[in-house]
Amino acid sequence: MSNQSCITISKITKKYKNSATNALNEVDFEINDGEIFGLLGPNGAGKTTLLSILCGLVKASGGGATIFGHSINDNPERVKRILGVVPQDIALYPTLSGRDNLMFIGRMYGLSGAVLKNRVDECLDKFGFDTNANNQVKHYSGGMKRRINLIGGILHKPKILLLDEPTVGMDVQTRTSIIEHLRQINENEKMTIIYTSHYMEQAELFCNRIAIMDKGRILCLGTPQELMIKEERADLEEVFLKLTGRKIRD
Amino acid sequence: MLRLIATFIKEFKILIVDRTGITVLFIMPVLLVFIMTLIQHEAYKSLTQSGIPVLLVNKDNDSLGLAIEKGFSKSSICELTIDKGAQYKTTADIKKKMVDGKFVIALVIPENATNALRNDVEGIMKRLFDKNAAIASDTGKVNIEVVVDPTANRSFIMAITSGLKEYIASIKTKVLFQIMGEKIGKLMNIDQKVNMPDQDFFVYKEEYALREGKTFYQPNAVQHNIPAWAIFSIFFIVLPLGGSIIGERSEGLFIRMRTFPGSYLSILSGKLFVYFLVAILQFSIIMALGKFILPLLGLPVLDIGSHPVALITLTVSLSLAAISYGLLVGTIFDTPQQSAVFGGISILIMSALGGIWVPLNIMPHFMQTISSFSPLNWALLGYYELFIKGGDWHAIQYQVMKLFIFFVSALLISYRVYKFKTRLN
Repeated sequence: MSNQSCITISKITKKYKNSATNALNEVDFEINDGEIFGLLGPNGAGKTTLLSILCGLVKASGGGATIFGHSINDNPERVKRILGVVPQDIALYPTLSGRDNLMFIGRMYGLSGAVLKNRVDECLDKFGFDTNANNQVKHYSGGMKRRINLIGGILHKPKILLLDEPTVGMDVQTRTSIIEHLRQINENEKMTIIYTSHYMEQAELFCNRIAIMDKGRILCLGTPQELMIKEERADLEEVFLKLTGRKIRD
Repeated sequence: MLRLIATFIKEFKILIVDRTGITVLFIMPVLLVFIMTLIQHEAYKSLTQSGIPVLLVNKDNDSLGLAIEKGFSKSSICELTIDKGAQYKTTADIKKKMVDGKFVIALVIPENATNALRNDVEGIMKRLFDKNAAIASDTGKVNIEVVVDPTANRSFIMAITSGLKEYIASIKTKVLFQIMGEKIGKLMNIDQKVNMPDQDFFVYKEEYALREGKTFYQPNAVQHNIPAWAIFSIFFIVLPLGGSIIGERSEGLFIRMRTFPGSYLSILSGKLFVYFLVAILQFSIIMALGKFILPLLGLPVLDIGSHPVALITLTVSLSLAAISYGLLVGTIFDTPQQSAVFGGISILIMSALGGIWVPLNIMPHFMQTISSFSPLNWALLGYYELFIKGGDWHAIQYQVMKLFIFFVSALLISYRVYKFKTRLN
């Protein structure tokens, strides 16, 4: 992990049509190259909106961001090639096999021939797939689908990986395994990971730095230890509840 | 290009494992063509072809009976069985055979019918030359019995009875002139027999409106049903295509696709290209059915005209129109259920209006006007030009143009709807 920033977010504001409040309010921070950055917050905090703006799915109402010096507004195509995205929903063709899904995704990022095949084999092997990779995705367990969904985001070796709640709905074993894989990818391939989650304990162990968001604003930002010291709490969950309150969100 | 190939491979793999899709796209159309062509073959045959079994019981064996015999023997629409009254002595005998399905219509010319006709004509002549002559009684009338199968086509019965009246009128005229000639000869003391010419003065020649240099081709069930149901089947692509587009949108795949570098249009083009090939394959299979399989069941061989380039152009335009409609439906609707219901029903309506189910010429005038708005009608008229009228590119250019405009319009509307739905808020 270097101290050089790879993503600079400058006063991003987002107001959806027909909405009385802003989804994002002048969000302004940097993410360093090679770090694992956690974006935490209750439902409706603006996490997914921020990720959607970074990967070009949603347009900011104000402000902007640069990714490795490329503006998301002016050069979205270049930015898309740098990013790998793992959507919150399973984004796979159910009647295709896991392998065929990955071959398709790889080709869409410009991989082909032996390079593509070897990369797919390598990733499938790393994430614990064998011949079952040739079965239709509709017959997979939830965990298997999540793993294939995740491989789809890293196949083309992006410099930055955006993960929107990648372990939601998984059992503890699968969740731990996925997190371990992501840590290895981060270390071995020097891939920057930006990750949203509701699992505080996992984020505390996994992330180098964390931003806690609510109502479209960054409430605090730092390493998990820095946040716990600053807010005088024993763990991240307590910090989170102190900052965002205990009221149930819709 | 790689993206296009990637989407093509992906769509192809999705399609070949989709049993419902394969059934809708290939198996159902083939069954539909088989069933509809076989059903309609008999209806077309009764109106347009020979071989309708007719019994003529000729007990007269004189001029009238022989003229009717000769007339129907020449007719192309009936297969005539002549009996001189030996086998079919009574009406009951005829009805029995008719119930068994041996004949559709039977004509019975009674004994001495020609003599009765002569007596009738002589009576007329007598009254002509002698005003005081008595009017002939009913005993001079000839009762020709017509026995009809109640299920027989009414237009066919009309054709036979009209023919019968024509032959009777013809022989009556001959007898009239013969007797009149004899009477005049007697008055003028000329002992010369007048022989009426056996041939008709008026000769009817049937002409068909065809393109220059083309030979006549009889429209039949195959020539109508094969292109009609091919068009219908190709438009049914809307179901799997619309469902596929909506499926991608609702399964989160759409988000992933929009994060891929490059335009979504290239991904969509790969999908549309697969369905375009499916449409061409559907058409080819149905044409092969008409050309090689249906003739094995006794149906006429499909004639696809002699302008392959025009045929390919029309089929490509039709396929493009069909996939653009599928794209439009898939873009507008949000659930596969909405898409399937609207897509399916709209094609049924457009096909009914377009003359797929019922020939256009028997529709009311205002319906015919409405039908000219159906793209299925444009395609059908194009195939009629090529398959039946022997037309070439010039004959189908307006149909091709209309289908192409439909294709472009549907694409543009789909694009606008897509932009509206995926606007970056």
